Amino acid sequence: MSQFLQPTILLLREGTDTSQGRAQIVSNINAVQAVADVVKSTLGPRGMDKMIQTGPKVTISNDGATILNLLEVVHPAARVLVDIAKSQDDEVGDGTTSTTLLAAELLKEAKPFIEEGIHPQIVIQGYRKALELALEKLEGFSINISKDSIESKRDTLIKCAQTALNSKLLANTKQFFSELVVSAVEKLDPNILDRDLIGIKNVTGGNITDSFLVDGVAFKKTFSYAGFEQQPKRFENPKICLLNLELELKSEKENAEIRIEKPEEYQSIVDAEWALIYEKLEIIVKAGAQIVLSKLPIGDLATQYFADRNIFCAGRVAQEDLLRVQKATGGQVQTTVNGLNPETFGTCGLFEEVQVGAERYNLFKNCPQSRTATIVLRGGAEQFIQEAERSLNDAIMIVRRCFKANKIVAGGGAIELEISRFLRHYARSVTGKTQYIVNSFAKALEVIPRTIAENAGLNSIEIMNKLRQKHAQGGEEGRWYGVDINGASGVCDTHQSFVWEPTLVKRNALCSATEAACAILSIDETVKNPKSDQDTKMKPKGQPGRPPMGMRR
Amino acid sequence: MSLAFDDYGRPYIILRDQGQKKRMKGLEAYKSNILAAKAVANTLSSSLGPKGMDKMLVSPDGDVSVTNDGATIVEKMEIQHPTAKLLVELSQSQDAEIGDGTTGVVVLAGKLLEQALTLLDKGIHPLKISDGFDRACDVAIKHLETISEEIDIQANDNEALVQAACTALGSKVVSKRKRELGKIAVTAVLDVADLARRDVNLDLIKIQTKTGGSVEDTRLISGILIDKDMSHPQMPKEVKDAKICLLTCPFEPPKPKTKHNINISSADDYKKLYLQEQQYFVDMVKLVKNSGANIALCQWGFDDEANHLLLQNELPAVRWVSGTDVELIAMATGARIIPRFQEITPEKLGKAGCVKEVQFGTSNERMLVIENCQCTKAVTILIRGGSQMIVDEAKRSIHDAICVIRNLIKDNRIVYGGGSAELACAIQVLQYADEVSSVEQYAIRSFADALEGIPCCLADNCGLNPITSVAQAKALQLKENNPRIGIDCMELGTIDMKEQRIYETLSSKKQQIQLATQVVKMILKIDDVIAPDDY
Repeated sequence: MSQFLQPTILLLREGTDTSQGRAQIVSNINAVQAVADVVKSTLGPRGMDKMIQTGPKVTISNDGATILNLLEVVHPAARVLVDIAKSQDDEVGDGTTSTTLLAAELLKEAKPFIEEGIHPQIVIQGYRKALELALEKLEGFSINISKDSIESKRDTLIKCAQTALNSKLLANTKQFFSELVVSAVEKLDPNILDRDLIGIKNVTGGNITDSFLVDGVAFKKTFSYAGFEQQPKRFENPKICLLNLELELKSEKENAEIRIEKPEEYQSIVDAEWALIYEKLEIIVKAGAQIVLSKLPIGDLATQYFADRNIFCAGRVAQEDLLRVQKATGGQVQTTVNGLNPETFGTCGLFEEVQVGAERYNLFKNCPQSRTATIVLRGGAEQFIQEAERSLNDAIMIVRRCFKANKIVAGGGAIELEISRFLRHYARSVTGKTQYIVNSFAKALEVIPRTIAENAGLNSIEIMNKLRQKHAQGGEEGRWYGVDINGASGVCDTHQSFVWEPTLVKRNALCSATEAACAILSIDETVKNPKSDQDTKMKPKGQPGRPPMGMRR
Repeated sequence: MSLAFDDYGRPYIILRDQGQKKRMKGLEAYKSNILAAKAVANTLSSSLGPKGMDKMLVSPDGDVSVTNDGATIVEKMEIQHPTAKLLVELSQSQDAEIGDGTTGVVVLAGKLLEQALTLLDKGIHPLKISDGFDRACDVAIKHLETISEEIDIQANDNEALVQAACTALGSKVVSKRKRELGKIAVTAVLDVADLARRDVNLDLIKIQTKTGGSVEDTRLISGILIDKDMSHPQMPKEVKDAKICLLTCPFEPPKPKTKHNINISSADDYKKLYLQEQQYFVDMVKLVKNSGANIALCQWGFDDEANHLLLQNELPAVRWVSGTDVELIAMATGARIIPRFQEITPEKLGKAGCVKEVQFGTSNERMLVIENCQCTKAVTILIRGGSQMIVDEAKRSIHDAICVIRNLIKDNRIVYGGGSAELACAIQVLQYADEVSSVEQYAIRSFADALEGIPCCLADNCGLNPITSVAQAKALQLKENNPRIGIDCMELGTIDMKEQRIYETLSSKKQQIQLATQVVKMILKIDDVIAPDDY
């Protein structure tokens, strides 16, 4: 970079930061490492939580993706980690921390090679080859549960959910929650398993085990007008009318203007407006609806009208709740009441308004076509419930995935060690630099059991040696040995102690971690526009990626 | 905070605004979190128990409130620290779920954290501590259930409910009148309770405050009190056998919602319009009159013209009644809310024995009382007191008492107060600790110590020697195997809480222990705090 005697050639705008070459790769690796270190302590059943304050909001979380997101990483290479954590979260919902750690560890292993002058592309090639083999083996090792009977399959799902909840705040009540989650997922249509149809509602207060599953839909009492309390609050097998319609005395057209010549005509206009709304209400009543829900407001007039006729109504129901009610009760949302057909009404076994903590909740239970479920979460503090919700979300995703994929492996680092053993074995059969690199890949995989052991306060070196020895026996016997945080020896057969995870989680974690590592390794130059720093500052928080308006010059 | 440095010692810029962020890790994080939370708990600990002291809180705009209620204190303290905020939420969720015991839950959490701090110093992994606390909590809850007693809430003129209410009121500023206020609260709750479903809708109990008079003047109105008066001073002040017409439309000519214009081209037309308007008023009054109503309550206002007409027609009326009041009145009198005059029918009118205007003291303020309603589903408690502060505090206290009674109706099991239940649990947990062979033993033992902290704190607040009195009570509990021995806060000469009749609901105690453990576990699980540097 010394340009003392040469005339300077200005290629880029002044202030542009260009760094390149090997130093750039190493520096990127260091940055990635630093980020991975932050989430490292959250891994495993003895993982800790992070408390992150952003503005007035405080989040306490154990979820890798959530933490990385809240850290507001701006380093371009380190952002890759945030992205893979997010993609893991979107794709499988769990295993975000391990993906991040694996990617960082792969890079760490690659660093000495880069420093010694091996071309990054060779490292990348080696990693890709190793990944291919690892995935092959992963499939080979995984246990198929599709042939199992329904009971034992349910059991497996519960085990998987428990593994996902192990590291969370809910760990002590995992039995309770895993069954809750599995029951909730079972309610869904097995072909689609739409996650949106499981609602999670938070109500502060109460003990965490007071949480319950509603076989149907539950939502908070909406804003109500005078007269609401006079409506009946309990129905059996009601007819439920779902609307996307405003039931209020209002002007039909926004900009309409009326001119009347004679004062007598005045009354007719007023009457016409009243007639319009009454007509709508009458149609609904005549059709035999007993519960009227609308996405748009239901005004005081309508509330009182319904109260007089023993009909329950709720306006301003949130979109997703209405959708769930629709799915659960088999009704259809109507946008007009003209030609209202009683066939579009849904029904459920029992409708009730109940007090949950300080809130009143509307519950629709025992739905005939129940393709939906709602979990009502209770807990001491707001942050506690929020974290519980995130944890349950992970568990739900895992169970969903497991439902579909039907294949599981043992967790606790067992599968990583087994793949690692295989790769080491394989490495000896290849010639050239690839041997080293496949070996490094194998070594990097060990980060998972090692971190679990470290976080649990165990002697990680001792544990790793024990585990390697078990796995080196080969065959079925030592295959599923992983870290045991409770026992005295520190290792156990995790398959037998039911630490199970869907294969898909591991598969996705391996793929995205390797992809990320390769992507970072192949970058040898960063060109950073000085303005990009300002841009990130100008951007409103929470909307990354959107180009700021009016910044183009 | 910088996460990493390059070979030249320059920090990598990894996080946005990382220069302005602060990070605390590991032991430092635990300790700072625990200290912050403990500070909150310490503030509250002097408010615990029947001889607990009050706090005076001055809000940013100078409003002064004096209170003994834990949830209110922490809420008004406007706590900034994120961990301390957890305790605030803890107190509030106890308030939301149970309504009582908001101080106790925070004090217990504080004691638990204090114990956790010493355990951390011993080098025990925080999650081991929280596991131990969790197991101890289960044991304590189970024991609470075994020592709880079912009471017959209706026996002896609801005596048990009154006693429970008295316990809740005992620690408040109104404790001198706790018996009277307790009775009022019990009657109010039973009036609106749905005993078959064991459900109480607290919205149906309206608590109205009025400064002046003294706390003894507080009374229960089996009906509704609204802070309004008749629209015209010459209207009758009392209506017997009232037939109430509830209107949600104004006493005005109706207006179409659509934008409208009236074009008047001649003086004749103008006159016509005027007459038409007059006609509207006459018609409206007539419609109300014809239905047989003898009082009209209106959610909106009305014209002076209408007011005059109403007076002439001897139809007392009230304007600007709020929406919630309209609803309550409808529930109580069995009235239907009427959206427009054309729909008034005699069936839709509500009936009440008496509607009258009452005046308080020498002030000119008047209120409207609706009594002997047809279906008394709503009641009002009118709280009187020397000053606004007293009245406000009395309101909070009565709310607590009402919540306790509601909980007893939901679940009629009780434990005895005065720290006896905590002591009994502590003894049980201590026994259990000896059976545990792992590191958790220490944590479980500490949990028992924390539970003992509650009676200690009670004794301390009462001016007794905490150590002697707790030791005495504990020894007696063990000797007589009697879980009802507690601290004699009122110095009545007996330490058997059954004789002192200090009742607390099982649900409240259970909730206190569970919630406190939950929050402590959560705080212990945090090993890393990332926050803006400025706090």
